[in-house]
Amino acid sequence: MDKTIKINLGGTLFQIDEDAYKMLRDYLQAIDRKFRNAPGGNETIEDIEFRIAEIFQSQKGTAGVISKENVEAMISVVGKPEDFDQEGGGANAYDHYSVRKKLYRNPDDRVIGGVCGGIGAFAETDPVWFRILFIVFAFGFGLGLFVYLALWIALPLADSPSRKREMYGNSANQLRSQDGELIPRYETTSRIGNATNEVFRALGKVLFIIVRTILIILGTALVLTGFMALLTFIMVFVFEYPGAFSTNIEGVNLSYLPDFLNYVVSPAAAPWIKGLITLVVSIPFLAMIYGGIRLIFWFRARDGYVWLATLVIWVMSIAALSIITFNEGVGFAENEKTTSTEYFSTVPDTLYIVTGKKLSDLNAENEISIPDNEYRVMIDDDKKEVYVRTRLMINPDEGNSASVEIKRRSSGRNRLDAIENAERLQYGLNISGKKLILDEFCTIPPDSRWSFDELWVTVNMPEGTIIFMDRTAESMFHSWHDDDFVTDSKNRFWVMTEDGLDYLEPDN
Amino acid sequence: MDLENTKAQMRKGILEYCILSVLSRNSCYASDIIRELKEARVIVVEGTLYPLLTRQKNAGLLSYRWEESQQGPPRKYYELTAEGREYLADLDRSWEELVESVNLIRSK
Repeated sequence: MDKTIKINLGGTLFQIDEDAYKMLRDYLQAIDRKFRNAPGGNETIEDIEFRIAEIFQSQKGTAGVISKENVEAMISVVGKPEDFDQEGGGANAYDHYSVRKKLYRNPDDRVIGGVCGGIGAFAETDPVWFRILFIVFAFGFGLGLFVYLALWIALPLADSPSRKREMYGNSANQLRSQDGELIPRYETTSRIGNATNEVFRALGKVLFIIVRTILIILGTALVLTGFMALLTFIMVFVFEYPGAFSTNIEGVNLSYLPDFLNYVVSPAAAPWIKGLITLVVSIPFLAMIYGGIRLIFWFRARDGYVWLATLVIWVMSIAALSIITFNEGVGFAENEKTTSTEYFSTVPDTLYIVTGKKLSDLNAENEISIPDNEYRVMIDDDKKEVYVRTRLMINPDEGNSASVEIKRRSSGRNRLDAIENAERLQYGLNISGKKLILDEFCTIPPDSRWSFDELWVTVNMPEGTIIFMDRTAESMFHSWHDDDFVTDSKNRFWVMTEDGLDYLEPDN
Repeated sequence: MDLENTKAQMRKGILEYCILSVLSRNSCYASDIIRELKEARVIVVEGTLYPLLTRQKNAGLLSYRWEESQQGPPRKYYELTAEGREYLADLDRSWEELVESVNLIRSK
């Protein structure tokens, strides 16, 4: 016996021959390599060491020295690491299965986002070629940049061992480096390729910072826009805060749209329509905010399914909204006019047009107006009534009679329905001697929905008739007639001429 | 097709099933399990068993306790957990189905 070595195995001390020691050391190293990177590997290694200690103990008695034969006998009992796989005790289940290759971004070989590194691993080619390709295409049309950016966002990072295995493909295609890291099998194709890679790496760092800065700016813009838009929507739609859509400015007034909706659609459909509108409008804004936050902080989230589900909900909301709206729209398919005429018993030489009920007297705060006040609707939520502003026309009468014509127009499911709708419009008009008293608006009775209702009053007067209008009547007249009449004459007298109403020169 | 690979895969599942079956009778020291498996010629070398035991233990199917031994280092005594018993019951059923299916096909 030349030399013996003392070793500690599984907490027990052994004397061992030098050649036996080398054999044992190689064996333990092989075991260690096999299990080190497997889940629970250290425990397995420890278990095997305990077992080896036990076998040695039973072989030598307590006094003896472990010989090469003892180690060989032990190995034949415990088995070589290669044999474990044969018997189905492989450290890693993946070792047996061929892995389906997938495209990932490669964190081990990255210049900017690891896109080319990932493609290289997938194609088992030096990524430098793909980098050159992207640069070339970036100079033509900038296409390369967009494709790169899209891939950067779309491809997941191979950030776990199983993903790396999928990225590199089968275990045959990869080697383990000294410290157990997976490394690609391909080698850098040439020295030039190597140098080019280095240059790209340096360039990449700069480019990475630029791209990140752009993404952060873009993300901030998205978050702010989305947030403002959402806030505006909520303020207008939920809190009815007019803001930019104030009634005072000329233009479409949207702030009372949700209230108005109640009167436009059938009561059963109203909550659905409101809910769906909320979804259809707010989902893209929320997506903008979330997308922006992701761009800013650049985190990876497994939110693919959430995006998909949200998209599905959004598309379905649009579809549902379209169907409901279409269904409601069928109720406005036809429109029809009804006309009724009242004659003056005696033709007045001067006609006084005086307003009866005025919009300004109404207790209706909710107003929807279409540009230039051409069409105004007001809603009284307590009485559940809708008021539509009347339009006034004054025309010369071809004969020699004086009359007032009331035209009501409404829409409906069919013509009969439209006529019924037109006839439900309540309007107050009264002729007494030289006085024509008319309301500024017509009323849509409660429990009846708005259906594009309009009401015109046409006054027909023979030529030469002097006509007086009070302020409101004049505004009704003006609002309809888009011509150059003086808006506010000091004396409110007009005269009927062959061509229509004309401003009466005040007598000096 | 690699015959050795196919065999190894077939054995792998069966081996895990066998370990659980041995432990279902009573709690055992690793050597007892090895002896039974060797007798049944399911395994040849002992080293096969240890990674499987670790994996099953980490999956919550097994638990162990340390027991002092008169000779040598302390020993791990393995036993099935409640989850392990359920798992085994499942495997029992699917084993019977498998045998039935394979026999059905082979006897045609």
